[in-house]
Amino acid sequence: MGLRNLFDRIEPAFHKGGRFEKYYSIYEMVESLVYTPKTVTTVAPHARSYIDMKRIMTYVVLATIPCILFGLYNTGLQTNLAIAEYGASGWRAWIIETLGIGFNPANPLANMLHGLLYFLPIYIVTLVAGGIFEVVFAVVRGHEVNEGFLVSSMLYTLILPASTPLWQVALGIIFGVVIGKEVFGGTGKNFLNPALVGRAFLYFAYPAQMSGDTVWTPVDGFSGATALSVSASDGFAALPERGITWMDAFIGTIQGCLGETSTIACLIGLAFLLVTKIANWRLVAGCLLGMIAFSTLLNLIGSDSNPMFAMPWYWHLVVGGYAFGLVFMVTEPVSASHTNAGRWIYGALIGFMVVMIRVVNPAFPEGMMLAILFGNVFAPLIDYFVVQANIKRRAKRNA
Amino acid sequence: MAQTRKSQLVDPLIDNNPITLQVLGICSALAVTSSLSVAFVMAIAVTLVTGFSSLFISMLRNQIPSSIRIIVQMVIIASLVILVDQVLKAYAYEISKTLSVFVGLIITNCIVMGRAEAFAMSNPPVASFIDGVGNGLGYGLILMLVGFIRELFGAGSLFGITIFETVNNGGWYVPNGMLLLPPSAFFIIGLLIWAIRSWKPMQVEEREFKIQTVEAH
Amino acid sequence: MPDANEKKGLIRRFLDMPNDSVPKTVFVAVTLCLVASMVVSAAAVSLRPVQQANALRDKQSNVLQVAGVYDPNVSVAEAFEAMEPHVVDLSTGESTDQFEIDTFDELAATGDPAIIRALDEDPAGLGGSMQAYRMVYILRTEDGGIDKVILPIEGYGLWSTLYGFIALEENGNDIFGLQFYQHGETPGLGAEVDNPRWKALWNGKKLRDDDGDLQITVAKAPPPAGQEFYIDALAGATLTSRGVHNLVRFWMGEQGYGPFLERLKAGDI
Repeated sequence: MGLRNLFDRIEPAFHKGGRFEKYYSIYEMVESLVYTPKTVTTVAPHARSYIDMKRIMTYVVLATIPCILFGLYNTGLQTNLAIAEYGASGWRAWIIETLGIGFNPANPLANMLHGLLYFLPIYIVTLVAGGIFEVVFAVVRGHEVNEGFLVSSMLYTLILPASTPLWQVALGIIFGVVIGKEVFGGTGKNFLNPALVGRAFLYFAYPAQMSGDTVWTPVDGFSGATALSVSASDGFAALPERGITWMDAFIGTIQGCLGETSTIACLIGLAFLLVTKIANWRLVAGCLLGMIAFSTLLNLIGSDSNPMFAMPWYWHLVVGGYAFGLVFMVTEPVSASHTNAGRWIYGALIGFMVVMIRVVNPAFPEGMMLAILFGNVFAPLIDYFVVQANIKRRAKRNA
Repeated sequence: MAQTRKSQLVDPLIDNNPITLQVLGICSALAVTSSLSVAFVMAIAVTLVTGFSSLFISMLRNQIPSSIRIIVQMVIIASLVILVDQVLKAYAYEISKTLSVFVGLIITNCIVMGRAEAFAMSNPPVASFIDGVGNGLGYGLILMLVGFIRELFGAGSLFGITIFETVNNGGWYVPNGMLLLPPSAFFIIGLLIWAIRSWKPMQVEEREFKIQTVEAH
Repeated sequence: MPDANEKKGLIRRFLDMPNDSVPKTVFVAVTLCLVASMVVSAAAVSLRPVQQANALRDKQSNVLQVAGVYDPNVSVAEAFEAMEPHVVDLSTGESTDQFEIDTFDELAATGDPAIIRALDEDPAGLGGSMQAYRMVYILRTEDGGIDKVILPIEGYGLWSTLYGFIALEENGNDIFGLQFYQHGETPGLGAEVDNPRWKALWNGKKLRDDDGDLQITVAKAPPPAGQEFYIDALAGATLTSRGVHNLVRFWMGEQGYGPFLERLKAGDI
């Protein structure tokens, strides 16, 4: 335990009055990353529980692993498929050729490696750029760097298109960390999901790199529409003609952001989060109900001019970022509602809004990101009314 | 009056800025700041309107029946605004097309009414005029700052002159499209308020409540 | 002292009243309204000629720009003398003189049922009806032949109606230029319809193939008819591009300037 000794030896220098007092947050960050934090909630009014912030965050990162793995595979698969037609170039191609692995889309390992070469640069840039701002705020404000950033940065990476320029990756996560979280006081006080704030910033700031048909697979000249934009223009019935079956979309071998295409991978993550009780099942159920109810209603209403009206709920579930958002964003505890009744309403509101945006708004084919941010903004209000209703009911009972 | 003429003019620029301290006039600040030249004209228009409406209202202040004083102020402000709008349409047609309804909406700008009600109704004309001009300039300063950031990074130009050649025109700069959308002004104004309050902590408002802390024992 | 009061003028008497008395309130309100309305109407009346000249110059300079004859050093009114305005009946394609050229407004007059035509198909999103008469401009060459025709067009994009002009060569089939002077599309995406580089794409494209079928296409990929009918869509602005595609095809088709272009091609104009 040489490392433990080292930590113990240098720790006093970071305490109040020590030489590096100012940098305690950095010390704490490194130390708690390696060891279990010393401070856990053991005091009333907190429930005594072995679940601490670190464990929650670690579990969420663990839950994303199926998505990461499948994302690596799918990114590589789509890229290799496109390379077969348009040819390969750039440093990634050089590495792959040097290693002698090749671009065969039938070889899962080659796909994984190629996907990794897109995933890693984005992830590293996210960690470094966002991390620097996390640390700066932690040092200036004297609070601890929180493990929440590991979750935010992973989710943020998974919802970016593989071709996103790295400088935009950095700008987005900085915006997400600063505007989405730190200006409101840091982890636990952010009423918006920082990863989504960063993504939304990029979406509105650089739409040419964040939407359209050419950004999902990073090969020059290749153009492939996402399942959602195909449905928005030609109707979901056209999807099988374009080679996208429901099964494809469910498994995730379709165009889309790095790690959000696979519904099955997201559901595995969801099962893990529900079993460990990290995710609140009411949020998930509310969001599913809202989506199913509203899309069924639209199916019944029907429309001559808008093919999206006819899209059934099981397609809404598997295309775009719905499944990913449902599992990792809707269930995010800080920005969601905190009352049980509120969680149902919050989830249903997001489920309703996502269908609304996808179907009715002509400009945005995807609605999950905006729907969740919308829900985030309403969460405190929902809680307020739930609490007020509760107070009224009790007052009546005791009157 | 404890305030000197100079401090009346200078205070609203930063120390008592109508936008960043009083948080008034945000609506038009969002709408007209996507380019610097439009923000500039708007700043001048608002400065003129606040200055002269304060002047006229102050001149009439002893005669205005308090039961209709708000209406009287509105009529004076509205007349001035229509004047400005007509002059712009006649002599700055291009810019008046971009400003469109927002010149008319100066009438509803809280800064104008606010200064008329809070200052001009109880102070002599010259002081009111200077106060109005000062507040208009304070508003204009923020407008120009926001316009500078939005036009430079959103379109790569300043006053319509290209500074960064954008990608669509064969250059290197990828313009930030969000800055061309009105909500971006919210972020910029928010960050400006943050910056000013870090610089002058005097402006930070007191907390409405105290967060309880639980000590571990 | 009633005597002293009588000697004062009427205005003085009002001013001396307590501020909150009813007569004083009415007096202040009426006087203020009178003064304000005089100031405002004086300004409006005296500035109107300048404003109208501005609006006219703005429209004229747009016509000149789309025809490629705009010169900032020449006054717009002077340069515009080269333009020959015609009010055209869209259904026949013939010029008509039932309207005053100077006061004709193809957009403002849409309330008059006598000159409104209902649209069965409305791909340009004009709200189901349009005016059956339009003001077009003909630019003559020095020997009196036709150089270009400039036609006003409009239609719905993503968020807004786009208003503009299209300039055609004398054969009524080759596009010289396209320009929108008013729209509310997304800045940076749809608003790139104003980008000179994109507008330059239109120059030299053809409306119809040899069989007379309308082929002009704004899309992400070239149509089967070939590159000469194809304008690359705006990046990231699918719906604005589709709107432009629809409105150009609408106005160049049978419900729009089709009959007029037929006559132009036949040399009847």
